[in-house]
Amino acid sequence: MAQARSAQQLAETRADLAGELERKNRELEAFSYSVSHDLRAPLRSIAGFSTALLEDYAGKLDDIGRDYLGRVSAAAQRMGELIDDLLHLSRVGRAELQRRRVDVSALARHVAAELQSTAPERQARIRIADGVSADADQRLLQVVLENLLGNAWKFTAKCPDPAIELGVNEQGGVAVYFVRDNGAGFDMTYAEKLFAPFSASSLGGRISGDGNWPRYRLPHCRSARRPGLGRGRGGQRYNIFWTLPVPVPGGRV
Amino acid sequence: MIRRERTILLVEDNPDDVELTKRAFAKSNIANEMIVARDGEEALDYLFGTGTYTGRDNMMMPQVVLLDLKLPKIDGLGVLRRMRADERTKRVPVVILTTSTEEKDVVTSYDLGANSYVRKPVDFSQFADAARQLGLYWLLLNEPPPSKGKP
Repeated sequence: MAQARSAQQLAETRADLAGELERKNRELEAFSYSVSHDLRAPLRSIAGFSTALLEDYAGKLDDIGRDYLGRVSAAAQRMGELIDDLLHLSRVGRAELQRRRVDVSALARHVAAELQSTAPERQARIRIADGVSADADQRLLQVVLENLLGNAWKFTAKCPDPAIELGVNEQGGVAVYFVRDNGAGFDMTYAEKLFAPFSASSLGGRISGDGNWPRYRLPHCRSARRPGLGRGRGGQRYNIFWTLPVPVPGGRV
Repeated sequence: MIRRERTILLVEDNPDDVELTKRAFAKSNIANEMIVARDGEEALDYLFGTGTYTGRDNMMMPQVVLLDLKLPKIDGLGVLRRMRADERTKRVPVVILTTSTEEKDVVTSYDLGANSYVRKPVDFSQFADAARQLGLYWLLLNEPPPSKGKP
């Protein structure tokens, strides 16, 4: 009797929570919608009119004035890109997971080629291991690779002999993927923050998130924070390791 | 009989965007007259010769309507819906020019009969480029619907 009641209570609580979750999701959707509309409009004005000033009134400004205006317009454009990235991530978080076998090597080569095309003059050695695959959502994995390879690309920009590597190791039956580069490093003290936008996804609780970014997440990229995350030993190499959860038959990640 | 003016109807409530769009067209040597409506109601008044536009020859239709989505009074989709439901305006080319790339906005716009959907870029040179291409395409290249229709 008591058991039946508690089962019913449990079901009611669960229904309440599901309703709450749906409501929060709708709120977030409305939020990202208004971000997409409202935040870009003033930015366009800042970028647009500083460009208009540069084009039409450049002769009335001295070098310093033109430099300042150039900075204003570059910053506005950068902020536009940031907003786009944020919205992109929020959409990624909303989408249903579609797991299947993904050719990580091919995907990484595609991402690397895109990066190369943004700066054809750059000479970087990018080594992608052959035959790397994963059970994952291809779209999400692409976002992960774009982020990680994009960072490696960025942080090796001032490196005399830039080298970027992607591969996989097996540790205790688990595939541990890594991206490694010899560019500028990051302070291990803040390693946790590197994954802040992904962190609230920590379904297994392995990444501690503060919950501020419930949408900007990569739900299938769980254990970004591993003991191995961060600075690798031996020379100036910086590693990011991550694993993907092993699929449970019939279950979601 | 519907006749077409060489005008562009810009439906846009943000004065900065109005100015930037005008400038972009001017920079691209597109000299067509631009009528600006600040909200959806004003746009419909212009098109149908009602309200403040009572007496306008409503058989004269703009060559293209550049329509923002988020507008006071009647929003862009509302304007589009009304335009497509009316014999006089149902074939007038409508380009959605907006900040939103929300999929539902894009899909709904096309479902309601928009001819094109363009996102306003933050980068001004891109914006100017988009305006130039819009002008070239809709004012020069595009073959407009035949000038006939029931009065």
